[in-house]
Amino acid sequence: MIRPIQPTSASIQPAVTTAGAGGWVHGGAALVWLPQAALLAAAVQGLADGRGFDAVLLPAVGVMLLGLLRAACEAWGARQVFGSARTQLSALRAQAATALAGRSPLDSSRPASGLAASVVAEQAEALVPYLVRFQPARRRAMLVPLVFLPVIAWFSWVAALVLLIAAPLIPMFMAIVGWRAKAASEAQLVEMGGMNAFLLDRLRGLATLRSLGAIDATARRLGESAQSLRRRTMAVLRIAFLSSALLELFSALGVAMVAAYIGFHLLGTLTFGTWGRPLSLGEGLFVLLLAPAFFDPLRELSAVWHDRASGEAALDALDRLSQGGLRLVGTSSDATVNESPAAASVEIRKLDFAHAGESTVFHDFDLHITAGEHVAVMGPSGAGKTALLSLIAGLVPATAGDISIGGVTLTEDTSASLRRQIGWMGQRPHVFAGSVQDNVALGRDGVDRAQVDAAMRIADLGSVAQAHPGVALGEGGTGLSGGEAVRLALARIAASSSHASLLLVDEPTAHLDTETAVRVADALIELARDRTLIAVTHDPVFAARMDRVIRLEACA
Amino acid sequence: MNANGLPVAALPPVARPSKLPPMVPVRHRRRDELHAVLRPFLASAPQRLALGAAMAALTVLAGMALLGLSGWFITATAIAGTSVTTALMFDVFMPSAGIRLLALGRTASRYGERLVTHDATFAALADLREQLFRGWARPDAARQLLARPARLLFRLTADIDALESLYLRLLVPALAALGAALLAGIVLGAMQLWLGIGLALWVIAAGWGIAWTVARLAHPAAVRRAQAIEALRQRAVDLVAGQTELAMAGRLAAQCDALAAADARLARADSALNRLDTGAGFAYGIAGTVTLTAVLLAAGLLVERGTIGVPAAALALLIALTATEPFAALRRGALEAGRTRLAVRRLAPRLSAPESAPTGTAATTSAVRLDRVSAAHAGSRIDALRDISLTIGAGERVALIGVSGAGKSTLLSVISGELAPQSGRVRTPVHCLLTQRTELFQDSLRDNLRLADPAADDARLWNVLEAAGLAADIRNTACGLDTPLGEGGLGLSGGQLRRLALARLLLRDMPLWLLDEPTEALDADIAHDVLLRLSAQADGRTLIVATHLRREAETADRLLRLHDGRIVADLRRGSPEFTAALLTLRAD
Repeated sequence: MIRPIQPTSASIQPAVTTAGAGGWVHGGAALVWLPQAALLAAAVQGLADGRGFDAVLLPAVGVMLLGLLRAACEAWGARQVFGSARTQLSALRAQAATALAGRSPLDSSRPASGLAASVVAEQAEALVPYLVRFQPARRRAMLVPLVFLPVIAWFSWVAALVLLIAAPLIPMFMAIVGWRAKAASEAQLVEMGGMNAFLLDRLRGLATLRSLGAIDATARRLGESAQSLRRRTMAVLRIAFLSSALLELFSALGVAMVAAYIGFHLLGTLTFGTWGRPLSLGEGLFVLLLAPAFFDPLRELSAVWHDRASGEAALDALDRLSQGGLRLVGTSSDATVNESPAAASVEIRKLDFAHAGESTVFHDFDLHITAGEHVAVMGPSGAGKTALLSLIAGLVPATAGDISIGGVTLTEDTSASLRRQIGWMGQRPHVFAGSVQDNVALGRDGVDRAQVDAAMRIADLGSVAQAHPGVALGEGGTGLSGGEAVRLALARIAASSSHASLLLVDEPTAHLDTETAVRVADALIELARDRTLIAVTHDPVFAARMDRVIRLEACA
Repeated sequence: MNANGLPVAALPPVARPSKLPPMVPVRHRRRDELHAVLRPFLASAPQRLALGAAMAALTVLAGMALLGLSGWFITATAIAGTSVTTALMFDVFMPSAGIRLLALGRTASRYGERLVTHDATFAALADLREQLFRGWARPDAARQLLARPARLLFRLTADIDALESLYLRLLVPALAALGAALLAGIVLGAMQLWLGIGLALWVIAAGWGIAWTVARLAHPAAVRRAQAIEALRQRAVDLVAGQTELAMAGRLAAQCDALAAADARLARADSALNRLDTGAGFAYGIAGTVTLTAVLLAAGLLVERGTIGVPAAALALLIALTATEPFAALRRGALEAGRTRLAVRRLAPRLSAPESAPTGTAATTSAVRLDRVSAAHAGSRIDALRDISLTIGAGERVALIGVSGAGKSTLLSVISGELAPQSGRVRTPVHCLLTQRTELFQDSLRDNLRLADPAADDARLWNVLEAAGLAADIRNTACGLDTPLGEGGLGLSGGQLRRLALARLLLRDMPLWLLDEPTEALDADIAHDVLLRLSAQADGRTLIVATHLRREAETADRLLRLHDGRIVADLRRGSPEFTAALLTLRAD
């Protein structure tokens, strides 16, 4: 399916939430404890009244049924909440991918592939716990105490007062003690995560470490710095954990004080605190049973508190990926392939271009390349050689001016069909995950198996495929040497050449030994027969084989 | 022979990572792997780990006791309060003091538990990282790692993180829950023996049984999830790093679709795990309700029979209520156990294999001698070196030349011992290899240099920096030797990087230097300066350089041309062929 990519405007952060029927059922399930506790209390009251086994039979049935109801509500609600959260994650990922696909490769503010992948793959995962754990816990922390407190107050205002004082003290003290410590401990935990980075950093340089005989010293240093970081982290955590200890203290004290008050009340020592008449055993027990359940949502919330920070960080990071920057000229793929088109002319008129925040690269630049002409573009680095190729391919928008290829002006609408006519050979080809053949074909329409095989012969890629049999390449092309990568780029352009009317080639012979360089140049010139070729190069030998050499000077 | 009548070996190899070789009993292998990973965990701080688990159990027990005692207290006071005499006789001091003590004790043990368990986990992980590093640094593992760094490295991070939950989310809650079950059993057993035993057995069986089932069922989904997230990551890398190619191929939308497909696969695995999690929650909910109901009925029966009083019944009820709660904490650990098992399986080989002794290449001779050596890269069917016999005398300077893919780098790897030959013998003196890329580490300049010689003092470091032509540049920086390098540190230019690598080489005072394209991608004048300094410092050493650049080959007195894994020419300075061979190489 071919689908045009909608350009996204900067920063539309959708409201992510899981508050639906499922969310409320999930949160409300905790309230089922209310009738359960009442039944349990009534059963004990019945036992105290001397009614024996009969006193517990009906309450037991009730407790059982209510327990089933509660478990079912929680399970159903949790599934609903998860489904909604996961859908939102998929939507955000798709949005980030679309935004990334539309940014210009020449945009210097574009995130590096590793960073983008980390955000889209790993970091975005934090969104689900945020929506599935944190938000429901917060909902419950707001709902449950609000319902329980009036019920408790109905029986005893003292018990309600004790809980009312203890509960808000928890967030307050947590704020006083925990707030700064929490920030510090989170920073420290990030640093602990940095130990993984330390390990990765050293593993990446393993070849050097081995050749320097530094394996043992590095291993020891790794261990020592991890241990010293552990000691520092524990010093911070000692304070940070105080907040969770405080939560424990207040909830335990709350329960203890309610228990003590009710005990002394029932004993007749404390007569105040109820609405005129003394509590019965059942009523007292009911209040006691509600007390720990009153604190449970707060405990739960504190346990998932860090899900909030990481969830919000993930949202921010995804949002940043989607933001701003230079965009491709049209990202539609909706174009048909034209078999063996005629060579295209290239006409550039009054072109203006500057990299963001930097000096002008092109001003009022005109260039005419006739159909079938082979042109070398030379010049010092920074003169805009690669930018010129990118502008022609529509990989970066011009500030002003027109570019037309084969008489068709490059616009958002024409870019897709124009790009299909262009054969491209970049300086550092990206190696995709997949086989060598997949890497040549790139999934392009109209590139069939025979063309791939032919292209691999032209680029002498057969030995590469044999050297990596059945092995998927990928991840930065670590499986290919520099020379192999150039041959891959050559095979890519060769595979598409039958549809191409214009070949754009960037530094095809750089960093090659003389023999390979000659072979690559021969193949390119053969491919470019009856086609237009624009080649950026430093190589005077290659340039001499072109029809014309254009020298770019850095703009003053 | 299989059903098709074909010999099994003739079938194309299918990657099936989950299937194990038939001759190793699966159960043993799993136990060995688990042992290999658990050992560093348990050995590094056994007391601390045990203390952490004990404190977690204590926290749970104090909470149970607090509620149970409160229930007993209320019921007892209510009964005592019915008449004035019993009310005055009732000892309120002990229970209310007990309640306060438990409230405070619970707070203290919770605080201690969090401190101790975290400290123990960090300590164990620190040890684990060091051992993993040593495991990966072994030559066979190192080559594997360097062949596909990014993916393996990200796996490694995720795997280490997954191990964290082994102790914190699985072992600690499992022990705490066991304590809760035992306490409940003892308290109820004191009232009625069969009730206590039955309750403890049921709670342990249901609690651990559900966790065990979830952990088992979660494994396949966790593996699928780990694979899907790697695919997602890979596709995101391809989308961004391969954007130009995709745009030119009209495949950007297709790549976005591929990314969405990976996400959909991930969502399915996530959903399977969530279903398990929800199912576990449901099962624990039911188990808790059943426990509560059963104890309520049993208590009613016992009270009717007069075995226990009403306060004891209240105590039993509240204990039953809290006995199953700690198992809920096991839920997350059980769910993550699937991922943890995958981590264990991947990390175990790096931890279990014995430390291999250094290879016997460090011979006492100062000459390099290769005798009929053939070598191939891992996973390749083609020999990169074929039947090479070669002697390089002490003090010789040799350049290896040939087109890319001829085997120059492979020959260097074999000489340096990084790649074991498939056949033949290699004798090499102690040596130092200068890799193509200068690798910097996230550390100060001083420590980056001292990797080569941990004992070097600043004076010696400045000496080698001077000799490498980098001293002036470093003096101009604000921090001198303390300048941070590596990612996020000072960005050194290509020339400065090479000079730094040269300085490190000088610190390693070795009789043989192996250089892999030492001035590739440097501007000509900088390259010549680096080569000049290199040449000057190499006096009296044996030098082998792999190159396709004329300027580098010119430093040698002997050229070895490789083609297709063979040495096809051996040329000495002074011969016309030597000069002719130099001219075929790329000039600046």
